[in-house]
Amino acid sequence: MIELKAICKSFPGVKSLDQVNFSASAGEIHALLGENGAGKSTLIKVLAGAYTPESGTITLGGVPRIWAAPKQAQQAGIHVIYQELVLFPDLSVAENIFIGHAPRTRWGLIDRKAMIQKTEVALSQLGHRLDPRARVGDLSVADQQMVEIAKALSHDVKLLVLDEPTAVISGKEVVALFERLRRLRDRGVCIIYISHRLEEIFALADRITILKDGKNVRAGTVAEFDRASLVTAMVGRPLADLYPPRPAQTKTAPIVLAACNIHLPPRVRGVDVNVRAGEIVGLAGMVGSGRTELAHAIFGSMARTKGRVTLEGEEVPPGNPRLSIQRGIGFLTEDRKAEGLLAQLPVYANITAPNLTAYTRLGFLRRPQEVALAARDIERFRIAVPGPTSGVWHLSGGNQQKILLSRWMAIKPKLLVLDEPTRGVDVGAKAEIYRLIRALAAEGVAVLLISSELPEVIGLCDRVLVMKEGRLMGELQAEALSEESIMTLATADAPAQGEAA
Amino acid sequence: MSGLAVTGGARAALAALRLERFALIGAVIGLTIVAATLSPAFLTLGNLRDIFTQAAPLGMVVLAQALIMLVRGIDLSVASVMASAAVLATAFTSTDNADIPLIFGAVLLGGAVIGGINGWLVTRRNVSPLLATLAMMILLQGVRFAYTQGAPSGLLPSGFRWLGTGQIYGIPVNLSVLLILALGLWVMLRYTMLGRAIYIIGGNPRAAELVGLSAQRVTMLCYCLGSMLAGIAGLFLVGFVGTVDNWVGRGYELDSIVAAVIGGVSLAGGSGSIVGALLGVLILVLLSNLVVILGLPVEFQLILKGVIIILATGLYARRMRA
Amino acid sequence: MIGRISPQALVVPLLLLIALTVGAVVNERFLTLGNLRNFTEQLAALGFVSLGQAFVILGGGIDLSIGAIASLAAVLLAGLHGGNEALFIPSLLLVLAGGAAVGAMNGWLTVWLRVHPLIVTLGMASVLSGITLLYAPQPRGSVPFWFEGFAFDSLAGVPLSGLLLGALFLITALVLTRTPFGRRVYAVGGNAEAARLSGLSVKPTIITTYALSGFFAALAGAYYVSRTGVGDPHAGDALTLASLTPVIVGGILLGGGRGGLGGVFLGVLLISLLNNLLNYMNLSTFVQWWCKGW
Repeated sequence: MIELKAICKSFPGVKSLDQVNFSASAGEIHALLGENGAGKSTLIKVLAGAYTPESGTITLGGVPRIWAAPKQAQQAGIHVIYQELVLFPDLSVAENIFIGHAPRTRWGLIDRKAMIQKTEVALSQLGHRLDPRARVGDLSVADQQMVEIAKALSHDVKLLVLDEPTAVISGKEVVALFERLRRLRDRGVCIIYISHRLEEIFALADRITILKDGKNVRAGTVAEFDRASLVTAMVGRPLADLYPPRPAQTKTAPIVLAACNIHLPPRVRGVDVNVRAGEIVGLAGMVGSGRTELAHAIFGSMARTKGRVTLEGEEVPPGNPRLSIQRGIGFLTEDRKAEGLLAQLPVYANITAPNLTAYTRLGFLRRPQEVALAARDIERFRIAVPGPTSGVWHLSGGNQQKILLSRWMAIKPKLLVLDEPTRGVDVGAKAEIYRLIRALAAEGVAVLLISSELPEVIGLCDRVLVMKEGRLMGELQAEALSEESIMTLATADAPAQGEAA
Repeated sequence: MSGLAVTGGARAALAALRLERFALIGAVIGLTIVAATLSPAFLTLGNLRDIFTQAAPLGMVVLAQALIMLVRGIDLSVASVMASAAVLATAFTSTDNADIPLIFGAVLLGGAVIGGINGWLVTRRNVSPLLATLAMMILLQGVRFAYTQGAPSGLLPSGFRWLGTGQIYGIPVNLSVLLILALGLWVMLRYTMLGRAIYIIGGNPRAAELVGLSAQRVTMLCYCLGSMLAGIAGLFLVGFVGTVDNWVGRGYELDSIVAAVIGGVSLAGGSGSIVGALLGVLILVLLSNLVVILGLPVEFQLILKGVIIILATGLYARRMRA
Repeated sequence: MIGRISPQALVVPLLLLIALTVGAVVNERFLTLGNLRNFTEQLAALGFVSLGQAFVILGGGIDLSIGAIASLAAVLLAGLHGGNEALFIPSLLLVLAGGAAVGAMNGWLTVWLRVHPLIVTLGMASVLSGITLLYAPQPRGSVPFWFEGFAFDSLAGVPLSGLLLGALFLITALVLTRTPFGRRVYAVGGNAEAARLSGLSVKPTIITTYALSGFFAALAGAYYVSRTGVGDPHAGDALTLASLTPVIVGGILLGGGRGGLGGVFLGVLLISLLNNLLNYMNLSTFVQWWCKGW
């Protein structure tokens, strides 16, 4: 059905796909697996014509194809449902489904009646009820996802790709989605399913292809794998080597962060968090469960409406990042490029940004000191850059992340909040970052770690808090950590009794 | 650090930066040579002095525009501010030179207020800089017309003539003022915390908030300083021209943007330098002079400016992507 | 696109009503047929360019070259035929097509260079003004007598220009709401990357919006010529800003992808009505001069 051969695609500083092969046939659900940054999304975009590969061939139904634009791939029957849904919030459900191929009247105008009728039919085929006239921006994420699927089906779809569809939905919605995907497969549609939730793969997929660092690792039928072999294939080495050993538990260390009854509507609704000195506390939960917003509320980059944050007993006022930094909170944000990196400035300016007053005398910057600090950190954290005065934009994700970590270490934090610290970072750099985080904790810093990668949470944290819909669902100690125990809490209907923090 | 792999991309970016400055200086030298060959009178001291005297007010406006562009803004009201400053100068009934400091004070104050409103609209009301300053331009225009009833009638103290065209030890007064202002801004941008904050905020306002910098306050300050600089430029320009009308500085909004863009100040914010912006002014002025030397109609300057601004932004945009 | 009336949507009609009432109260001649005709004639140029600007802004851009295109169109239309009436119609067609071509070039430059449309159209405006002033430092040329009918004749009491404007508004509204192209404009303006991933052809859509804007600007230039009988190199100078006002007043979000044409229409009416009203009221000289400064 579809075959990709020897695909290569690079971005500045990164070789995203290196001689990747991939094939899937009609009437199967094919899982595409790999860690974040393994190249799954890039491969999908190549498949869909959104990226043009530097080399390699795409064969669809036995015919070699070259896509100049997504349009051509779509006309050939390939439809992708991206993680970030491609919808127009200001248009209606029907208008979104039929964007680009609306039914026409005799005069060539858009036939709205027919469009709404067809939308109703399409949605009922999916077994989903929605008003075709509703504004898409007003729908829930699960409903929006259904609109995307209906949109795909409104074309003559032969190949449907779903990029982590369960990152934004849960429970019953997942069950319903799987049901519909199986029905589509039985109609002869080829489905490529991307996820890093292993239980989903075993429940849904027929065959599996695994990527790592932009290269093929393994492929085969689902029966050829078990959990352990999948993980080893994805990570490339046994998990134990990736994470530094946990020190003996320090239940007696003083509490550094005490956040009490934090409210930040609509995403955070009454959360308590305590972190002790030297402790790494994980914050797990589905995307959209309010973890990132909780971090912002603690740090002050979003003003909490209710609740109290103290750091070593000292009050941290709401909505004032500058004061939070002065008190000793560092916050490594989730979106490195949009919220962290200063692309046009050199390494040293990236590192000293939150701490400029320390490098200022009489209003003038002390550049030599800044450069010296950067030089020291480059050495210490083994950052691969030409020097402290070179640019940061073209560095690899891992090196950029190390620069940002060194930024926050330079303020000598008491509490460090890390939001997805290893996103888009290759495995080697990951291990180093884990080591850095553990070393920091060993120095007595309290660490609050948000991560969607369960192995990371399980491997690194001393204690894990699980959130769902803005509330804490429970707390797990290191001994009780497993993917199952976390997911159970993350999708549970009510806080587990007696365990809620 | 030695022994670590240098990524090719980083090295290329560095090289490009140096190349850019090289290219600007090269363009200045090249254009000067062309002009001097075509017209032997071009490279005389007197002529160069004339050119600089003529260009100095534009230079001041470019400083303003560059400062605002650094924080992701754009100011279309600079020319209107210049004209308003000129009209304001005529409001003082006496033509006594003793009033000059007073006039400068009033213009600086007015500039601060106008820039403050621009900045307030942009940072607090989320109006796009383009629209906010466009509205300011129109508003000032209206106020000016209403106040002058179409044609300004007041007179200027004679000292303005000296400010606009005079010399100290053979150096044009307005050029010296421009250089002092430029030096001040250069030091501020390069060596102070405020300057660093401006680059950080212009490059990534979200990240700036997250490292504890107040994007709103700094942006506001840039708009204020910008309008104040534009006001001063207006006073020097009116001193150069000699007569006040409602359109002093007309066209300077485009010229200042063109010069800043040629000089490598990014419309996307966060990159560019004062030296680059001034080189941009030089190139623009040299080109305008070439049009005259070649005996072409002055309208060619308009065409040339249009082509250059499109090409220059296009080239910079391409380079950023490469 | 989705029919729902928000309180904000009522602001402009309300203002319109107030302006009308005030006009009627202040001056009994305000609501006469004569003034109404006068009013429609003033409205036309603004109406034309707002339509073009609306396309561009909905598609996520901005066109600051409208005035320069209109001026160039005016001098060329009045001058090209050199007094030979037989050449007038061809030069009219040429000018309208030329407007569209210049607009298309704006669009092409923005998508090709990926430069902010503000810069491209500002630069284009500068180039065009230079050409206009080279060609006609002073008002020049003439038009056949019959062409002045475009501005002054009426059909069943309604000025021709008003009829044309009305028709163009209806067609534009139809195009925006009921054709695939219109849908593409909204989609591209709302989220260009999403539109690309949805398989829509983004670049041609953007280029077309600018071409339409250029066409409407040229039409406004032609209208000026028919009103004044001469090609004024500054005919369109005020139009660039004027074209933005109704579009913004009418609620098309600057940034693209949202808003309807009804609002723009009301915006055009309101702005023109205010201008007209001010002529009729004996306002203080301050306000009058202030308005002239606009």
